[in-house]
Amino acid sequence: MSKSVLIIEDEPFILEALSFLLEREGYALSSFSDGEGCIDYIKKIKPDLIILDMMLPNISGMQILENLRSSQEYQSLPVLMLTAKGQRKDRQAAENAGASLFMTKPFSNDEIIANVHKLLS
Amino acid sequence: MSRTLIGTRIRERRRAKKKSQTGLAQEVGISASYLNLIEHNRRGIAGKTLLAIAKSLEINPRDLTEGADQGLIDKVKEAIAKNRHIPSEVDRLEEFIGRFPGFARLIERLFDLQQEQNQNLQALSDKMNSDPFFAEAIHLMLSNITTIRSTADILQKNPLIEEKLHSKFLSNLLKESERLSQTASGILEHFEQTHSQQDKLADQTTLDTFLESNDFHLDILETGAASPEEIIEELAIETEEQKNALVILKGYETMAKALPLQKFLNKAVQLKFAPLELAAYFKTDLRSIFYRLAHLPEQNNLPKWGLLECDGSGAVLYRKQLTTLSLPRFGSACPLWPIYRSFSQPMQPICALLDMPTGERFLTYAVAQFNDLGTIGVPGTLKASMVITQDYDQLIAKTALTSLPQLSVGLQCSVCPKKECTARRATYILG
Repeated sequence: MSKSVLIIEDEPFILEALSFLLEREGYALSSFSDGEGCIDYIKKIKPDLIILDMMLPNISGMQILENLRSSQEYQSLPVLMLTAKGQRKDRQAAENAGASLFMTKPFSNDEIIANVHKLLS
Repeated sequence: MSRTLIGTRIRERRRAKKKSQTGLAQEVGISASYLNLIEHNRRGIAGKTLLAIAKSLEINPRDLTEGADQGLIDKVKEAIAKNRHIPSEVDRLEEFIGRFPGFARLIERLFDLQQEQNQNLQALSDKMNSDPFFAEAIHLMLSNITTIRSTADILQKNPLIEEKLHSKFLSNLLKESERLSQTASGILEHFEQTHSQQDKLADQTTLDTFLESNDFHLDILETGAASPEEIIEELAIETEEQKNALVILKGYETMAKALPLQKFLNKAVQLKFAPLELAAYFKTDLRSIFYRLAHLPEQNNLPKWGLLECDGSGAVLYRKQLTTLSLPRFGSACPLWPIYRSFSQPMQPICALLDMPTGERFLTYAVAQFNDLGTIGVPGTLKASMVITQDYDQLIAKTALTSLPQLSVGLQCSVCPKKECTARRATYILG
């Protein structure tokens, strides 16, 4: 059975491009475009990996990550954090909040696919 | 003035008057060899000889001895030092200035301009770093670029992609390019507006500049080394600014006496800077604690606090910005900020975590307090204060953070990408 990836990203075109790339790699894809309600969605679909944008409407990606990590069940769920903010303090904040990997936009397709493979291997 | 310049000038002037060294020496009654030593800056010259040479060369003695002041020499030396990669004849600097004072002045002017431009660039860079619009625009541009890069890569590497998907990606590419153009135009427009608002920014008072340059911590008032009146005099604050400046500085002085720095710091560290507990311990109001927190010295181990104070109309009365958060000076901030909500529940402290659209998080405490009690039929006026810090992880245990209210807010409507916000009163300029 193929591994499942949930992309939480509010930019529809980035979502479409990522969906195409990861489906082609054989992953089962699902997506969510708003911070609000996505914790319930994660609990419902139980993905193997989450690609999480830091800037989301209503609830930030950082907040979602902290909420997730506060639950024992999601301590080891791989979360790949995406952000347009690449300063050291942002990276540090994401690491402190429990991000498995941190990628800054603009990233390359090859790079993100390689990171997804790495986190799911 | 350096004697070397006088000799060089005498030689230049003599040549201009087409006189021989021997002829001039005879006219002034000195030997040609002595004049030669003077002209080559190996002998000093003053008094009668200088006057005689000046007379013979039909020049005011002052023109031989003045003009190239030490300031000019120092400035050209500084220009040379800052441009070490260009080998310059430093040992002949005075000769150069003496022979070509106009060129020397030109170097001085160009060097001054270069310095000014460097300072302007630094100021612009600082401004851009704390400009919420620019930060938001850059984020948006990076998202635009991510889409374009990723989509173009898919199209290029997948020539056999099904036609419907191919058209969709092409359409995405076009739309995202248009958004990128729109964002770039927005940035240009913003900087044009910024330029036209420079007069407004010039409204920054002398005291604002003084406080900012001291990171809002005034040792001289903390220790009583100077009075507010003496600071106003020292800063030569203009008459129309003096009244407000005095109110602010006297407020600082009162705070420093009521909440002495070291005593406050000791207790604040012990209480993890919790404003309510500090107010209870020092038997004072919350606003005074907020004010004290915002005026602590900048030290690595201390949390950095910003402060915003406004009246019931939302007009900003006082602000201390954080390097990571730009607080409004003229317009209002996001209406969802707790400082505005505090007006609806005077004297009720509010504590909340603010989540910005940029992903940054801040801890805030806000309270609205009465300035006066009012009279029968006339309500008292309120002033709201809010302290804000990004160093919340030093103050509150991670487990306790989740129990705090978390508010998803913006900075100002014009730079806030939050969709469907009921509090929105201005269009998102990058939308």
